[in-house]
Amino acid sequence: MGTARFTGRFWLAAGIVAAVLLFGLVAPLVFRGHQVGAVVGGLYDHPSSRAWLGTDNLGHDVFTNLMYGTRTSLVIGLVAGAIATGIGVVLGTLAGYRGGAVEEGLMGFTNVILAIPSIVVLVLISIALGTRSTVTLAVVLAVTSWPWTARAVRAQAASVRAREHLDVARLSGAGTASLICYDVVPYMLSYICMAFVLQVSGAVLNEAALSMLGLGPSGGVSLGIMLHWALAWESVRTGAWWAFVPPTVLLTLLAFALLMLQSSLDEVFNPRLRRYRRRRTAAPPVALPDERPVAEGAAE
Amino acid sequence: MTAPLLRARGLRAAYTGQRGADIVAVDGVDLELPAGQVLGIAGESGCGKSTLAAVLSLTARPPLSVLDGELTVDGDRLDLSGDRPPPRTWRGSVVSLLPQGAMNSLSPTTRIGDLAVDVIRAHRGRTRRTDALDRLADRLDALDLPRRVVDSYPHQLSGGMRQRVVTVLSTLLDPRLLIADEPTSALDVSTQRQLTELLRELLHRGLVGGIVFVTHDLPVLRAVADRIAIMYAGRLVEVGDTAGLIDDPRHPYTAALLASVLVPEPAIRTRRIGGIAGAPPDLSAPPAGCRFHPRCSLATDVCTRQEPPALGTVADRYATCWWRADHPDEDLEARL
Amino acid sequence: MNLPRYLGRKAAWYLGALLVAILLNFLLPRLIPGNPVDTIVSSMSRGGVEGSQLRAIHAHYVHEFGLDKPLWQQFVLYLGHLAHGDLGVSFAQSPATVQDLIGQALPWSIALQLPAILIGWLVGNGLGAVAAYRGGWLDRGAFLGSLFTSSMPYYCVAILLLYLLAVVVPVLPPSGGYSFGNTPELSPAFVSDALTHYWLPFLSLVVVFVGGQAVGMRSMAVYELGSDYVNYDRGLGLRDRTIVRYIFRNAMLPQVTGLALSIGTLVGGALITEIVFSYPGVGTLLFTAISQNDYPVVTGLTLLIAVAVLVANFCVEVAYGVIDPRIRAANRGER
Repeated sequence: MGTARFTGRFWLAAGIVAAVLLFGLVAPLVFRGHQVGAVVGGLYDHPSSRAWLGTDNLGHDVFTNLMYGTRTSLVIGLVAGAIATGIGVVLGTLAGYRGGAVEEGLMGFTNVILAIPSIVVLVLISIALGTRSTVTLAVVLAVTSWPWTARAVRAQAASVRAREHLDVARLSGAGTASLICYDVVPYMLSYICMAFVLQVSGAVLNEAALSMLGLGPSGGVSLGIMLHWALAWESVRTGAWWAFVPPTVLLTLLAFALLMLQSSLDEVFNPRLRRYRRRRTAAPPVALPDERPVAEGAAE
Repeated sequence: MTAPLLRARGLRAAYTGQRGADIVAVDGVDLELPAGQVLGIAGESGCGKSTLAAVLSLTARPPLSVLDGELTVDGDRLDLSGDRPPPRTWRGSVVSLLPQGAMNSLSPTTRIGDLAVDVIRAHRGRTRRTDALDRLADRLDALDLPRRVVDSYPHQLSGGMRQRVVTVLSTLLDPRLLIADEPTSALDVSTQRQLTELLRELLHRGLVGGIVFVTHDLPVLRAVADRIAIMYAGRLVEVGDTAGLIDDPRHPYTAALLASVLVPEPAIRTRRIGGIAGAPPDLSAPPAGCRFHPRCSLATDVCTRQEPPALGTVADRYATCWWRADHPDEDLEARL
Repeated sequence: MNLPRYLGRKAAWYLGALLVAILLNFLLPRLIPGNPVDTIVSSMSRGGVEGSQLRAIHAHYVHEFGLDKPLWQQFVLYLGHLAHGDLGVSFAQSPATVQDLIGQALPWSIALQLPAILIGWLVGNGLGAVAAYRGGWLDRGAFLGSLFTSSMPYYCVAILLLYLLAVVVPVLPPSGGYSFGNTPELSPAFVSDALTHYWLPFLSLVVVFVGGQAVGMRSMAVYELGSDYVNYDRGLGLRDRTIVRYIFRNAMLPQVTGLALSIGTLVGGALITEIVFSYPGVGTLLFTAISQNDYPVVTGLTLLIAVAVLVANFCVEVAYGVIDPRIRAANRGER
């Protein structure tokens, strides 16, 4: 990798993600006084000193819900992301490294699952389960989202397999497992990082979507569930913005930051995506001179 | 004496470094080429010759930027030092690039004929499609290439065929100066021969005014170039006509390069083949004085401190070396 | 030309995937422990459905599901019904059939999404290509803006737009596909009424879609910009807009794929947006069905979504094989 250059965008994205993580995972410990499910006011009270972000449809404190909801969403996202990345990496590496029938079989299986839209499987499985715990939901989400990672990792592993350093390692007697761990995976680490980030973001958003359909984690609070209640109880129509704006903002921030993280990581690892600043003193060959409009409309 | 086809003065270009430091890859190069001739530019990898090709063909793009220089082709003068980009119409019709790696130089989803039509229209305004295609077909015939190329996609042509097609495209508009950047590097010997024959043919028919041929491969230059310029660490160290330069090199680096080349000729077989010890310098911090002094067996104290003087002119015979300044007539080969 | 063989192989594969989808659709709801009909009927009785009706439904479903028969026989029954286009009768809204309910909701969903996808695709790709080629501030601004709007979950955009444009500044109606009390008909009055209800959901979809397309196209174009052919085309003196056209063509292939796939996801693509606006499409139907445990409707919808996506994917693969000369060449055995 050499000199990895982390751009400003990377630090911004990483900062936002870190802030959200802190809020979801650490803040509930800091604000111990706030209990989930405690009734602190009436239906849709305005924000006040008692309830910093007002109350929701059941009189619960929205701020508390936000903290614990973020925590639930994050936990589901991270767990689902980790599981999906894990499955994808294992299957993809196996398929790409082994090649032949193993690759054909695994990729065929992956392609079938990939072809069936995940929302379909998510809805069917969720509705089949009586109660959905956080972990169960994370597993379900992971099970429907690993295929694309497996496909991409397979391509990477297949290309690494052809490289010379593997021949050297094999000749020196390394076993398959050791080869995979020490010679193949390190080359794919950059991709695995990016894939994990994307998986987490996908899982968080899918969980929110499921929750808004009514299939979220039973009995808990998550950002999606907060939105579900907000919609079901007409908070938008009655103008109780504190009920839906905070979860919306948090979901958006998280999704945006994760995607930006992934794209700036992509720039770090893939130099062709880098854009260079043009020198002031030299001729800029790529840009159009300012006086020429872009779309002239004249036929060639 | 007629004006030269190409006259370049003070060309400087640099790559924007990742950590802020710029790498000056071409540092004050002057060139001259009379009409109807081939100027070869030779040197090791990293000497800056491909950068020079990009500067001459006006295709430098970030992270490479042209810092300074003046280009006069067939009387038309272009100042490269300002912020303004060079005129688009110069590219392809005044100077034209024959790129390294023709394999990837063609867009995979465009047919050759369509590309030719777009090129012609970009320079001649509204042209009828049939007229443009006729011109391409005429060129293909004249240079002995099959007509089926016109309707082909790049992937349908063999590597050698693609190289020749790219040559035709680069000369479609009869450019005054053709800059060939390592055109033979990816080819086998017989295809190389075909290509150099093609280039000679183009020159002979007047379809190009002159050729600058950039390569690391000296033997090819021996066969195709009229004049040769040797580049080292971003600067020219010697320029001269081919026969003269090869028989009587004026710069130690030239002599060392010649000695390291494997050519199956009787006289050379009796010579010992030597490599050149060391490696080209890091251009972000080039050596003081003469840039070649760390690897030169004839280096003296002054070589490490002061830049060597210019002996001669780039239009005729040129070298820049302290030793040569002190020994203007000695034979280098005997000394190495 | 190996096109027939290519098509044949693809068709066979997709039929296989379809079978798997149907199988999943059949099996998963039946994994509920206990007799599903009992559970549903008992929950319906809590919801106030009459006793006689309950018995009728119960008997109907035991027969329909063939719950006394072995699983494979149930599957055969199920396939038989599917072949006739019979997706069953809705639990919650019987005697309405699932086909009827879907048939009422589907046109609304398609009318909402098809224009949004097409317009979003055109505008987004154009924006992405221009931003990539121009570079500079336009690129940075467009990229970040698009990244933001595309990473924003589309339902969040929907909620915010709903709040801003229907509550804070009551410009547009906040819900429904048409004003309460109207009945759908093809009269100018109704159509204009429906259109005012159309804007918000349409806008929320377009905003996100444009963002997504712009980001994708811009990345592809930036990647293409670094390629040798762009450098050579510049060296030949081609106009910038010609070069952009070539880049577009090369970067376009995956974008066309994306477009076709998006059309394939028309059916299930905007579920939550429709819920947010109570738009009478497939999304609201699914939402209601889930809340009422209306299994036939839910499974009918999921099957429809899966089939639509598979059909779209298949068409894309066929089109790709026909359009991309490289794929055609690979099939013909050329280099």
